[in-house]
Amino acid sequence: MILSHPIRRRSLGGLLALGGAATLMPGLTRAAKAATPDEIKKRGHIMVGVLTDYPPFGGIDSSQNPAGYDVDVARLAAQALGVELRLVPVTGPNRIPFLLTNKVDMLIATFGITEERAKQVLFSNPYSALTTYILAPKSLAIRTPEDLKGIRVGVARASTQDIAVSAIAPREIRLMRFDDDATVTQSLISGQTQAIGASNTILAQLTANYAQLQIEPKFTLRAQANGMAFRKQDEALRDWSNTFIKTITDNGELGKIHQRWFNVAMDPLPPMPQF
Amino acid sequence: MNYVFEFGQVFAAWDELLAGALRTLWLSAASMAIGLVVAIAGALGKTSGPRWLRWVIDAYIELIRNTPFLIQIFMVFFGLPAIGIRLEADQAALLALVINVGAYGIEIIRAGIESIQKGQIEAGKALGLHPLQIFRHIVLKPALQAIYPSLTSQFILLMLNSSVCSAIAASELTAAANDIQARNFRSFEVYFVVTGMYFVLSLMFWGIFAWVERTFLRQPATR
Amino acid sequence: MRSLGPNEIWFILLAVRWTLLLSIAAFAGGTVGGLLIALMRTSRFKGLRWAAIAYIKLFQGTPLLMQLVLAFFVPGIFGIDVDPWGAAALGLSLHASAFLGEIWRGCIEVVPKGQWEASSALGLRYWNQMRHIVVPQAFRIAIPPTVGFLVQLIKATSLASIIGFVELTRAAQVINNAVFQPFTIFGLVALTYFIVCWPLSLYSRRMEQKLALATR
Repeated sequence: MILSHPIRRRSLGGLLALGGAATLMPGLTRAAKAATPDEIKKRGHIMVGVLTDYPPFGGIDSSQNPAGYDVDVARLAAQALGVELRLVPVTGPNRIPFLLTNKVDMLIATFGITEERAKQVLFSNPYSALTTYILAPKSLAIRTPEDLKGIRVGVARASTQDIAVSAIAPREIRLMRFDDDATVTQSLISGQTQAIGASNTILAQLTANYAQLQIEPKFTLRAQANGMAFRKQDEALRDWSNTFIKTITDNGELGKIHQRWFNVAMDPLPPMPQF
Repeated sequence: MNYVFEFGQVFAAWDELLAGALRTLWLSAASMAIGLVVAIAGALGKTSGPRWLRWVIDAYIELIRNTPFLIQIFMVFFGLPAIGIRLEADQAALLALVINVGAYGIEIIRAGIESIQKGQIEAGKALGLHPLQIFRHIVLKPALQAIYPSLTSQFILLMLNSSVCSAIAASELTAAANDIQARNFRSFEVYFVVTGMYFVLSLMFWGIFAWVERTFLRQPATR
Repeated sequence: MRSLGPNEIWFILLAVRWTLLLSIAAFAGGTVGGLLIALMRTSRFKGLRWAAIAYIKLFQGTPLLMQLVLAFFVPGIFGIDVDPWGAAALGLSLHASAFLGEIWRGCIEVVPKGQWEASSALGLRYWNQMRHIVVPQAFRIAIPPTVGFLVQLIKATSLASIIGFVELTRAAQVINNAVFQPFTIFGLVALTYFIVCWPLSLYSRRMEQKLALATR
């Protein structure tokens, strides 16, 4: 697999030889025009934005390459198109900017389908799902959103948890926004936050590695359907992806990926949310 | 260029931006004030303290000056709870900024102390000047004149550096920008406006500092 | 979830090469830009001087973090694809140009006016005056503050982590996200920066003291 890390792609020798003026040049290439399946096939590679800080959907393997459910789906997609896969690591907050400023052709980045986001990007049909909860130690009595009064709650900025908590939270909540889910998890472990908005996968990690914290789900924030995302004008690529998702669902390949990363069989995918 | 600018959604959040700018002002002013106290204490310790104290202060200065602020703030926020000290994000930001600016301030203040010329104090005494007069005209004013430019540019640097505090969910201007762009996805527009706001803050401080220098620290016309 | 093993520590330590490469690229870019700014700032032409002052104020009056974020987004808006490496190198180069330009202006201005006048009288043109009279004198006094700024620049590359460039700090975050041992990991990273920066700081100070003795 070719990791789209710029320096691995471009020779640095020339840069150092040319010195100063050249430092402005690496990384400057003409942006891709509209990304259609035909155009992608012609150029021979597809740039896919994936998370690297959200295992097991998008994490890194022991040799520090992106790995996870999303990465495997991306690999299948590139295979189906017959092109080389270039993975571009993105973070939760910079996913949409990366897409809109042509740094990637599409996102396969555990991107929850919401009405707000659908105004900015095109979504494919769901290809994965997760549930987000308010997670907190057993000792903390939280049953309803009202109980979050005066509690320090951590969420990843711009995530669906951020949107959900902001919508239901009482005024007195002390919401703290961090740049990614891992920092949010970190804040709960270090005691900087008392509760966090996070998914079932984070809960599994916390239970496996920090059993003594006795973290449990308090209430459900939302059941989230994740879609691949495209620029508004790239309907052809979206349509191709919908067909692709249906194909790998029907032939069982998506189920195999799910089994590999979550060790359980995949539930049927949720329907496309309607707004 | 197929990008459509939408600044309207940024200006719609003007109250959030203004609140963020005020938080940035407060955060940098408070850390500068406390940092100055740390710097003066450190400089006195370094010029006239016992050897072990000088060694400790040196280690503190070198450690802080040769590591990035981003790492320092992570250590304060995520590291300190491990030894039982949990600070709110804003307190952690303040502490990290104070620790950081203190290390730079010590060297500046020390240079000021060393710029005082003992001979002139003697001369002042010989001329029969009152000790307060000596302190004001021979010790304080020249020392302030010597350190003023470095001290004020350190303050501007501190204010600009405080933007890094957004990484630990402290509330200030950059965090406000992050929150706004997370809602409306107009990243470029938001960051462009906020950069402009920081520049206005800098211009303001440059103006104030220059005015203070002209009014209170002007060199008497002896040359 | 993994634990912190030799593999993870090695990954963090290897990432220091991106920090160093980014520092070198930014310093090289900043040298070219800084020379230009310093020459403009000391030029006889008012327009050039004003342009240089505006540039310096703009970059000294806004946070580096914002400069990097904008270096990342602005080219994309004009249809130019810049990856995080390109954006970080570009942003840091522009930033360094302003600071080095201002440092070197000071060094150029240390050369007394009389020497310019005398060399003019001898029939030397601008470039020859620069080459034979000004640069040899300015170069020596420029070394300590320039090396001092290099330390600032190396530390500043840590902010490239925020726009997604995987250098030392970002590598530490990625590993920390997997193993959750912030104290150990960030301590290790702080130590790594220190080992790189401290000798430079010492060198800069030693040169400064030497110079102060020589000119006393």
